[in-house]
Amino acid sequence: MAKIVLETKGLTKRYGSVTPLDSIDMQVHEGEWVSIMGPSGSGKTTMLNLLSCLDAPSEGEYILDGVATATLTEKQRVAVRREKIGLIFQQFHLVPYLSALENVMLAQYYHSMIDSKDAEQALAHVGLGHRIGHLPSQLSGGEQQRVCIARALINQPAIILADEPTGNLDEANEEVVLDLFKGLHREGRTIILVTHNPELAQYSDRVVRLHHGKVVHDA
Amino acid sequence: MAEDRRADTTQTAMFLRILFKSLKVRKNRVFITFFSIMIGASIITALASVYFDISAKMSRELRAYGANFFVGPSASRGERSVESDAIARAIAMVPTDKLAGASPYSYGVVRLDLGNAVLAGVDFRGLKKLSPYWQVEGKWITVDFDEDSCMIGKTLAKKMELKVGDPVNVMRSETGFQKALTVKGIAETGQAEDEQIFVNLALADRILGNNGRVNHAMLSIVTEGTDIDGLAARMQQEMPGMDAKPIRKLSYSEGKILDKIKGLMAIIAVIILTVTTLCVMTTLITVVSERTREIGLMKAIGADDREIVAQFLAETLIIGLAGVAAGLVAGFALAQVLGHAVFGSAIAFRMIVLPMTLVPSILASLLAAALPVRMAVGIVPAKVLKED
Repeated sequence: MAKIVLETKGLTKRYGSVTPLDSIDMQVHEGEWVSIMGPSGSGKTTMLNLLSCLDAPSEGEYILDGVATATLTEKQRVAVRREKIGLIFQQFHLVPYLSALENVMLAQYYHSMIDSKDAEQALAHVGLGHRIGHLPSQLSGGEQQRVCIARALINQPAIILADEPTGNLDEANEEVVLDLFKGLHREGRTIILVTHNPELAQYSDRVVRLHHGKVVHDA
Repeated sequence: MAEDRRADTTQTAMFLRILFKSLKVRKNRVFITFFSIMIGASIITALASVYFDISAKMSRELRAYGANFFVGPSASRGERSVESDAIARAIAMVPTDKLAGASPYSYGVVRLDLGNAVLAGVDFRGLKKLSPYWQVEGKWITVDFDEDSCMIGKTLAKKMELKVGDPVNVMRSETGFQKALTVKGIAETGQAEDEQIFVNLALADRILGNNGRVNHAMLSIVTEGTDIDGLAARMQQEMPGMDAKPIRKLSYSEGKILDKIKGLMAIIAVIILTVTTLCVMTTLITVVSERTREIGLMKAIGADDREIVAQFLAETLIIGLAGVAAGLVAGFALAQVLGHAVFGSAIAFRMIVLPMTLVPSILASLLAAALPVRMAVGIVPAKVLKED
């Protein structure tokens, strides 16, 4: 059995009297692809924010790659994001004045040290070896998302967290991105994917369904 | 070790690359910030340049309103004249670099063609420096040995129906002296001198029969850096038969006006810096608002607060340094305009102006960046990255 990369115990988030995420127990093993699904307001985004250490839980435990993160300070959470997590966003979120290559190098810059050759290889890996000098505005949505994937992979994170990665893409680009995720899975990457898209979720090892902040399905 | 150095260089290169690309993409905002800092720095440069020149220049300007030091016979002893040698010794006690001008005065009543008048014997070269405000029609007498010319006050000239170039007979019954002099210049002084006739001291001595004695001397002394009361005391001590005293009204006013002008300049500099700070702050707040998502992204992928602060402060510093450099050039040019307009002369460049402009301008820029940087640090990535 592969080692546990991510584990939550009673993970809860409260905003005043509202509890968007309520006592989540979950384990994700190395190399596993888990899709988190659920209707709007089910707690998917809150869960993603907690798993990506962009937010801290109100209660419970969250152990990521051996690090108990629930009680970390903001500065420590930044370090965890930098070291252990690769983030992929629905809206791509690239720095508009930096080229594709520089956007990938930006993650290296905050992580440890710049290696432009590695960054070029990461872009080539997602099929953008010929577009490294282009600005985001000169790339299609699919290409921007692939830059985002290359950036998420560049520091060899323990997990890749993706939030609706095909949500803003047309069918052709969705196919390309889906193929990339399949490839990442084959390489043994641990992937947690928040999606509405059942076609994307069908390739995952497990689907976790949320409803009103609780896990209602995990298989 | 070499690897570490290479890695550091690359990190620095990436930092600079982000920095300059970020500035390049926001040319308008950068220009507004640069221009604000440049305006502030140029005004501070101009004021500081003038400030350091003002003492000398204002002293010179204020001395244009007359002499500020009197040397004459002791009033307490009832004497009315003093040996001209004693006057010369007193004048010699003033350091040469502090003496703007001096002239002995020897007075007496003479008969002109159409009536009596007060004749003053003077040292014209000294008198010209003492009285630069005189409006002279014709010319000044400029040499000591000219014993054929005179200058005459405007009121007296009118009364005696004299014009420049006219001859005038000067007579003194007590000495039996009589000589025809040519009116070389007619002076409008706005004071008692308008009713007097002026000749060289040596000629006056012969006309009046004063035997080398003069009534007093007036001096114009640079007050900046001079202990004028101490100087008067030393003169009195060395020449007990004489009075030596500053003409307080002028010398004190001079100092007070200088202080007030310097204070006014400091207030203007503070106001300008405050306005610059507010302008830069407003622009940087707008920049942070525009870059909210970018900052959120940087934080999401691992930038800590220190890196966000470094990025913004470095951007502000680069714009600030460029603004100060341009401001120094523009400010020095503005100082020249002020110098020529107010003092009629150029303002010298002084190295002290450099730190005086650089330090407050950069501090003001960094102060202006404090609130926007705080806003940037406070950005919550989870919130801004979800907003459409």
